[in-house]
Amino acid sequence: MRVEVRGLTKSFGAVRAVTDLGFTVEPGSVTGFLGPNGAGKTTTLRMVLGLIGPDAGTATFDGVPYAALPDPIRTVGAVLETAFHPARSGRNHLRVYCRAAGLPVERADEVLRQVGLADAGGRRAGSYSLGMRQRLALATALLGDPGVLVLDEPANGLDPEGIQWLRGFLRHLAHDQGRTVLVSSHLLSEVEQTVDRVVIVGAGRLVREGSMADLRAGADGAGTVLVRSPEVARLAEVLRADGVPLTLDGAALTVTGRTTDEIGARAFAAGVELHELRSHTSGLEEIYFQLTAGQGQFAAPSPGTADPEGASR
Amino acid sequence: MTRLVRAEWTKLFTTRVWIGMLAAGLLITAGFAALMTAFAGNADSGLAPVGTAEFEQTALAQASGATVLTLILGIIGATQEYRHRTATPTFLTTPRRGQVIIAKLIAYALAAVPFAVLAVAVNYLVVAVYAGARGAAPSLTGDNIEVMTTSGLALVIYAVIGVGLGALMRNQVGAIVAALVYLFVVESVIRSIPATSGAYKWLPGGGLEAMTATFEGPDLLGAWQGGLLLLGYGLVAALLGTLLAVRRDIV
Repeated sequence: MRVEVRGLTKSFGAVRAVTDLGFTVEPGSVTGFLGPNGAGKTTTLRMVLGLIGPDAGTATFDGVPYAALPDPIRTVGAVLETAFHPARSGRNHLRVYCRAAGLPVERADEVLRQVGLADAGGRRAGSYSLGMRQRLALATALLGDPGVLVLDEPANGLDPEGIQWLRGFLRHLAHDQGRTVLVSSHLLSEVEQTVDRVVIVGAGRLVREGSMADLRAGADGAGTVLVRSPEVARLAEVLRADGVPLTLDGAALTVTGRTTDEIGARAFAAGVELHELRSHTSGLEEIYFQLTAGQGQFAAPSPGTADPEGASR
Repeated sequence: MTRLVRAEWTKLFTTRVWIGMLAAGLLITAGFAALMTAFAGNADSGLAPVGTAEFEQTALAQASGATVLTLILGIIGATQEYRHRTATPTFLTTPRRGQVIIAKLIAYALAAVPFAVLAVAVNYLVVAVYAGARGAAPSLTGDNIEVMTTSGLALVIYAVIGVGLGALMRNQVGAIVAALVYLFVVESVIRSIPATSGAYKWLPGGGLEAMTATFEGPDLLGAWQGGLLLLGYGLVAALLGTLLAVRRDIV
């Protein structure tokens, strides 16, 4: 099932949240929906799901808007926020939506097992950890065994193990089961290994749409390399002579747009002793920062926009 | 619609709010019924003595005092979706939001029926035992049955009003406080000021009093008219709540 977003626009009072946003989410792949906090990601996803009425534009699932889907939770599963009554058990929370959608209540236990919450199903959801709440939200989305999954920052609150599990789970849903997966994040690094395609937004507008491979191709060599050396000044001289862009900061040196292999070779050739040589940010992250720089809703005038040290934090 | 009503019942009975409301409702009913019986025939209280029709109809209408609890139950049922943000999964499951509100109205009206039956039964038991001990247990006939039925019906209608008010206001604490302030402050002021007391019979409290109080009170509608008036208030609130729920963004 293909998700098509065309010309979505939404203002809250005087604040323009989303402007003429359009993109496509293809079946059988994981699409990353990326942008800084406040870029309009959540608003867009809620418009796609019919929870927020857009001022203009449409969002359709194989041509049908969400509110007109004959069987919405069997078609689209959504993880938007961890929303449940704290006094109700996880299992009963799921049973409510089984009842409302006409699904057998046994589905509640099946999805609990699927997300690894089988043992916690009888406990009050209010006692769950942040990670368990995310899993319960994911279980709610899976109830109707939908062909499309929409997830808003699903990795929030998950521990590293949980994030690892989520990545594998999303890939499995898309690649092995052919579902359409749209997952938002404000961190490219978080979804870099999971997504096949990216839709990048900044300040409510589309910045970039395309495959991860395309984005990588444009990012070759654009990363930064950090070098520490007791002879840092001499190394800087050697590199500058070859026209390598760099910044010098005490005993450390940051090189932009070259690989660690190349810097290592040059240092070796010049006979410079190295204490540390490592890739500091990937080219992909650099591209992402450049694409979205200053487009967050509360973007502060940071000293890091031109300095990769600051931007990488 | 059956699915949605059952989903609302699952929501209602998988938290413990209903137990508290029912317990409090039965306590209030039993308490007032006992008080009325204790002070029956007492010259200072102005209550008719045990054994008279006036006493029996007053004492047997005390379940209507629990209307405040079915009202709050309905308010909680409608507003908890917003308070705990479950409106998101609820409206994702049922994008036609009006159906959710209608299902809530039906679910809470039906759930209030056994609540009302229990409250009326407790009311009768307390009066029968206590007044019996004081000389004359009320009979289950004629006007007594009628006053018990209308009290029970009032409990059901107030649950409907609660759902409607909750759907309209969305803020749980705000809706409960507003309802209590209105019922216990605003209406009693309107009722006691001569200039406005004429309007009282058209207000929810006036409707309730018309349904249950057969003797005392100022100018009131008939019992069934009062019931219809109350139901009208509930449905108007629900209709406005539904219209707004359909339009408002769920953020």
